[in-house]
Amino acid sequence: MGLGDIVKQQQKALTEPQEKQTEEIVQLVGFVVGEEEFAVPILSIQEIIKPIEWTRVPFVPDYVLGVFNLRGNVLPLIDLRKKFKVPAADIDENTRFIVMKIKGEDVAFVIDRLTSAIRIPKKNILPPPDTYSNEDDIIEGVGRLDDGRIITILKVDNLIKREEIVPEK
Amino acid sequence: MDDMMELLEDFLVEAFEMIEEMDQDLIELENNPDDLDLVNKIFRVAHTIKGSGSFLNFDKLTRLTHHMEAVLDKARKGELRITPEIMDVILESVDAMKAILEYIRDNGNDEAPEVDIEPIVKKLDAIVNGEGVGSSSEEKEEKKESKKIGNLNLDEITVDNIDDIDVSQLSPEELDAVLERLVEDINTPPEEEEKEEKKEEEEKKEEKEEKKEVTPADKKEVAKAAETKPVSKEEAKQKVKKQLINAKEQTIRVDVKRLDQLMNLIGELVLAKNRLIKIYNDVEERYEGEKFLEELNQVVSSISIVTTDLQIAVMKIRMLPIGKVFNKFPRLVRDLARELGKKVRLIIEGEDTELDKSIIEEIGDPLVHMIRNAIDHGIEPPEERKAKGKPEEGTIWLRAYNEGNMIVIEIKDDGRGIDPEAIKKKAIEKGIITPQEAENMSDKEAFMLIFKPGFSTAEKVTSVSGRGVGMDVVKTNIEKLNGIIEVDSVPGKGTTFKLKIPLTLAIIQALLVASQEDLFAVPLSNVIETVRIVEEDIYTIEGKSVLKLRDEVLPLVNMADVFEIEKILEPEKYLYVVILGLGATKIGLIVDRFIGQEEIVIKSLGEFLKGLPGIAGATIRGDGRVTLIVDVASLMKLAKETHNKKLVTDSLKEAKKKKEKPEDYVVMIVDDSAMDRKIMRQALEPLGVQIVEAKDGIEALNLLKQNDVDAMLIDIEMPRMDGYTLAQEIRKYNKFRKLPLIAVTSRATKADRVRGVEVGMNEYITKPYTKEYLQNVVRRNLGL
Repeated sequence: MGLGDIVKQQQKALTEPQEKQTEEIVQLVGFVVGEEEFAVPILSIQEIIKPIEWTRVPFVPDYVLGVFNLRGNVLPLIDLRKKFKVPAADIDENTRFIVMKIKGEDVAFVIDRLTSAIRIPKKNILPPPDTYSNEDDIIEGVGRLDDGRIITILKVDNLIKREEIVPEK
Repeated sequence: MDDMMELLEDFLVEAFEMIEEMDQDLIELENNPDDLDLVNKIFRVAHTIKGSGSFLNFDKLTRLTHHMEAVLDKARKGELRITPEIMDVILESVDAMKAILEYIRDNGNDEAPEVDIEPIVKKLDAIVNGEGVGSSSEEKEEKKESKKIGNLNLDEITVDNIDDIDVSQLSPEELDAVLERLVEDINTPPEEEEKEEKKEEEEKKEEKEEKKEVTPADKKEVAKAAETKPVSKEEAKQKVKKQLINAKEQTIRVDVKRLDQLMNLIGELVLAKNRLIKIYNDVEERYEGEKFLEELNQVVSSISIVTTDLQIAVMKIRMLPIGKVFNKFPRLVRDLARELGKKVRLIIEGEDTELDKSIIEEIGDPLVHMIRNAIDHGIEPPEERKAKGKPEEGTIWLRAYNEGNMIVIEIKDDGRGIDPEAIKKKAIEKGIITPQEAENMSDKEAFMLIFKPGFSTAEKVTSVSGRGVGMDVVKTNIEKLNGIIEVDSVPGKGTTFKLKIPLTLAIIQALLVASQEDLFAVPLSNVIETVRIVEEDIYTIEGKSVLKLRDEVLPLVNMADVFEIEKILEPEKYLYVVILGLGATKIGLIVDRFIGQEEIVIKSLGEFLKGLPGIAGATIRGDGRVTLIVDVASLMKLAKETHNKKLVTDSLKEAKKKKEKPEDYVVMIVDDSAMDRKIMRQALEPLGVQIVEAKDGIEALNLLKQNDVDAMLIDIEMPRMDGYTLAQEIRKYNKFRKLPLIAVTSRATKADRVRGVEVGMNEYITKPYTKEYLQNVVRRNLGL
């Protein structure tokens, strides 16, 4: 048995009883794009920054705004309004860039404003109803919060796909 | 087991390095068969490989090298003269040795079933025996054994070649023996060496016995006793030892990955440096004349110099002499010339010129192609040359030298040259160009046709070249390195190919240009020149836009069309054109502005965006903004498509909006006082222009972005954002660079006016003013 297996076993022993006692809680960060409230798992977020200047890039779909410099790294910037086909809006003091790790790469998304950190029991998350348009498979599920708010939980990994961005040669 | 692998790896690296050198030496040897130094050198290579090979149990390799050694041994003793026939056999055996070594590298053993060494061994033996001295050579071999320590042949060691010996591999006894030998070498005048050799040998043996018994204390006495001698053996030994150690510590092998990491860090440093310079410039503007500026300037300059030096130093670590590639050509030329029955001399110059390792790896194949071509197509057969009054032996020059940030590799022959008319004819036959195109073509352009895919000039197809793929491959390879190819040829006299390749790939010099409002960095190595033209310089030939530049006709495209950038700037009287060159192609690219030259660090756009057409990556500028770097090869392809479907003259019209009547013009009034706005409005209404009003700088800036404004009247003192700041902000946008800004204010001191000019105001009107005066100023600025 390798060291890794032992560690895994110990971890399992530590976490399992807890899981049994309390129901599984999912931690999310909520934000608004257009009229709707969305959320992504807190662990997929690298950081949240105020808007900074970006550089346009040719030959990409309109929701790819361009690239910008985050402490010496060049990151793509995705406009979620355009991605979700919501009418465009100006950047204001509430606008934020959320930097998330997708397939090992940092990508930033423009959102209208942050709402709150959300803790929600897993059982309160339901699969997306058929009425939702979910062709890209970007919706993980729909969560109902205690105060009655409904949030759409996004599948971070499916938010952008290379084959949709860079045209085939 | 790992030790063994490491040993094997070291052996292979060393062996391949030696063989590379040996190839060169062998060719030289053929020309100077009496050069004993060369024979000795080659002998040592065979000998070393044999020694290490037998240690690693490579029997086949050992057997082969053993027989090679026998032949070379005779040659170095002057008992055998190297004729071309013998050289053929030796070269054959070197090839076999290479093949076996390659097999070892790939498979870890020397079975190498496809290499049959027996015929070669027989031939080598025949050479040795052919002279009828088989027995004596064996005797000598035995004698030599007595002077050998481990793998070393003591006879071979002199002070001059101690560098060839890897001291770290020697046992203490071996090292001792080597040192003894060196001391002898130092103390013995060369002429006497031979006479004294035997005597000394005996002495040495005695001394050795003696030495084993001396204790350190005794040693001192021995040294003292020996003081009468010019140099005592101990001292000399110490000296040589030091020399040896020093010599060995001068090089280390480093993993390329570590160098890449270092290069990345330096890249970051270069970015920080650029940023620092930018900040310094800003500060200088603001605090002109302040004392601390001088100090800051010194710090910035010294950091800038050190960073550049550091970058060059690391770049140099990655550099290898191009001789590494050139070395294999003497052999190639010799073999080819013999095969084709031609006489060819190869002259190599500048083999010390250094290039980045990654480029060295890529450059070999194209050069092989070009040299093959030169021998096959360029150099004529001896009879033909004689008939033309040329020397029978053709010459090929292979030359490398630095030119700015580029390295130039020149391949020149004195053969039959290229006939531009023949090339054109052929190209028309093959449907590569039309007869009309051929007519407009200069000779230089015609030469470039040989790089077109599917073009082959050789009348007959030989095994050497003329398969119609060669030059195309050359072009592709050179383009990969962002290089440029130039061809020059005089029929009957010869041809010169010039390859210009950037020195390194990670940090590059770039020309920054603006197309509309977007900035791009174009690798300077591909910028042939920049020119300023007027629209009348653009011609349309067969529905395509071209630029006539001296004797060349270049395809012309607008960069904004290539990258599908929306046109918002009105074209000006002058157009700025970047002449881009890649491989054998040149195009003219219209941009809207030249920003300048800058050193940039190439960064990837990441997994999601990399590989975008026309874009090689991005760089971070001094102001922290990202600028895209143009991928010249890919841009050329895009430009070709654009060139086929869009006329530059049409494209220039797109941005021109017709403004004829005064109602087509919009003037914005920015003032916090409603009263003042009203006065201005009343003054301007008679002109018939449209009027927009803003209460302060921020509102004005927002309105400006939404409306198409042709001139602005700006008050200086306003809440939130004053007039100076507003003007400054507006001038940051490329598209508002030429927007007339007219300050209308009661602040009338000279300092105020100067400040106005500094921030980019075009005119300065002081209140109160007359209606007519304001109208005149506005009219003049609108061009009404």
